[in-house]
Amino acid sequence: MEQYFNQYIIVAIFIIIGIALPFGALTAGKLLRPKAPTKEKQTTYESGNEPVGLSQVQFNVRYYMFALLFVIFDVETVFLYPWAVAYQELGLFALIEMLIFVSLLVVGLIYAWKKKVFEWDSI
Amino acid sequence: MLNSYLLLSASLFCIGLYGALSKKNAVIVLLSIELMLNAANVNIIAFSKYGINPSLTGHVFSLFSMTVAAAEVAVGIAILIMLYRNRGISDVTKMDVLKK
Amino acid sequence: MDTRLFAADLLDMLPELTLFIAIIIISLLDLFWPKNASKKGIGVLTLIALIVSAGFLIYQRIHLDGVISLLNDSYLVYHYGILFKLIVLLGVSLIVMMSFGAIRDKDIPHIGEYYVLLMPAALGAMIMASSADIITLFIGLELLSISSYILVALRKHHTKSNEAAFKYIVLGSIASAFILYGMSFLYGMGGSTNLFQIGATLQSLESSFHPMIYVSFFLLLVGFGFKLAAAPFHTWAPEVYSAAPTPVVSFLAVISKAAMLIFMFMFLPVYFVPLDPVQNLTIYSDVVLTLHVVAAISMIVGNIVALMQKNVKRLLAFSSIANAGYFLVVLSTDRPGELVYYLVAYLLMTIGIFAVVTALENSAEHQDISIFSGLYFTAPVTAVMTVILLLSLAGIPLTMGFLGKFFILLGVIQVKTYWLAAIMIVSSVISFYYYFRIIRLMFMRSHSEHTTIKVPVTTMIVIAICVVATIFFAFFPQYMLSFIEWT
Repeated sequence: MEQYFNQYIIVAIFIIIGIALPFGALTAGKLLRPKAPTKEKQTTYESGNEPVGLSQVQFNVRYYMFALLFVIFDVETVFLYPWAVAYQELGLFALIEMLIFVSLLVVGLIYAWKKKVFEWDSI
Repeated sequence: MLNSYLLLSASLFCIGLYGALSKKNAVIVLLSIELMLNAANVNIIAFSKYGINPSLTGHVFSLFSMTVAAAEVAVGIAILIMLYRNRGISDVTKMDVLKK
Repeated sequence: MDTRLFAADLLDMLPELTLFIAIIIISLLDLFWPKNASKKGIGVLTLIALIVSAGFLIYQRIHLDGVISLLNDSYLVYHYGILFKLIVLLGVSLIVMMSFGAIRDKDIPHIGEYYVLLMPAALGAMIMASSADIITLFIGLELLSISSYILVALRKHHTKSNEAAFKYIVLGSIASAFILYGMSFLYGMGGSTNLFQIGATLQSLESSFHPMIYVSFFLLLVGFGFKLAAAPFHTWAPEVYSAAPTPVVSFLAVISKAAMLIFMFMFLPVYFVPLDPVQNLTIYSDVVLTLHVVAAISMIVGNIVALMQKNVKRLLAFSSIANAGYFLVVLSTDRPGELVYYLVAYLLMTIGIFAVVTALENSAEHQDISIFSGLYFTAPVTAVMTVILLLSLAGIPLTMGFLGKFFILLGVIQVKTYWLAAIMIVSSVISFYYYFRIIRLMFMRSHSEHTTIKVPVTTMIVIAICVVATIFFAFFPQYMLSFIEWT
């Protein structure tokens, strides 16, 4: 039980260091560096890109298509995890079932491909 | 322990229902529906751990319902995109062609 | 219990597997279909797949011996399940045949997808009919629902249709969420996803958990009511019915309802939870009362609002809302034989009348009720058949619709719920008015339109099948009843 908690203490230390380090570094930098702001320095991209328009723009509807495909294919992997965890006990039959499942996803992929969903001008 | 989870899921469900029925933006309506489905998931997981008859099948159930919810919302967004291209609106209150 | 699946068990799943494989093959074929070839080939293939699947089902029915249960009851082969699956396949096959003449390129840009999507929808309904596990029931329900959302949305360039599809998916998903939430309570109380086990566990629960069981039922009721299009959850129906392609509407009216009925048929026995052993009270009696109230509201609202409709498809939507009421009545009296009989009657007359509507609406290019005017003079055979279908819908003797309603009425009187029987009779009488209005229109000579109406051959076949079956099984109900009861 004690060992169990010790593991959490390590995690807690990691979190604390993770939060403290960037704060500490940035504060130290702020204290040490000279401060001489000019107009060019305060723009969003210092390296020469001129910012255009507002930051809250409407995204192109085409991104939704990729988001949709991502969501669908990404969520299916949820079924791979339990299978992978219990792989040793399940054996060959489950492997074949999983192959069928994955090949169904491939069918979906072919369908999307053939329907030209992956091209930028698809919508 | 169970009660607080049930309370959480009930409030999520109600927030989702309120959002789905009252929000103007169609994307937010779909988000609210997702919230309702996930409230049910919270419920299932809470029952599978702290219920009167705890069992592991709840985990499987929630995995399936997550996938289903994703598919549902994907179709919803696709229909919304179609509507947006034909009419240029994503405002639910302006969808009134059928009333006329 | 062994919960593993063996290769030999796949033979029991043949009807579903056939459809499943057909979906994959036909959807890929649709992709590589020659550009200038007619997409009707896809429809023909779909029809073949449906018929093969039905063939396997009939084979299963003949060799059925008791109940086959696989995977911890998540797949069941049993008497009524097979009947429901046959009804679903019959309905979808008729709809596919009706579509050959009704679906036009300018309406639906992707006809191949239309035919392919009918199959997963039918598969979802079949999964619902062959399962006693809430996970698979939910998956089946969602497979059916998501496919029908897409089917409603298939008229891509039609703004009304787009809007109806969006409303349908939003409200449908809310209903699904309600069903899932209600299921989560059932799972929590029962500790299992198996309906039989849940039912057994609920009976032994302390009374302090009973409110939770009621909560689960009322949450489920919202979802049931929505998918059945029963009032007060019916508001989507007229809008979606008037904007979706007509074959899809008949799918929603028949197959979705049938699937939901088998869903409820499996679910409701869970609520046989004893409340008071002395008075022999169970939660189920409250469930039945609630169903009766919903049924009464549906019958009244459906039949009265239908009187004011000018759009044919809206009118039929309200008629289907009223029919949802009749279905709830027969479901609550727990007579599966009568339920199946009325379901077949409803299937035949609804698909028949929608087939007529597709032909008329395509030649008139609008959906006003006036499309029926003078039909007797432009297409006499169709007109006579339409009259028979409408009489059946109204419930006039010598039709299947009458017998179905009569059986339901007998059941209600047998359980001594006289108020419900009264409402049923009165609302049926009200429904005569709007059905007869259509019939009167058909026999009035219209001077404005001289166009001849062409009914496509396949549509004509569908109408003829529906009419002949409606009359045949009205005169010889014993054939169907003995098939239903045959063990």
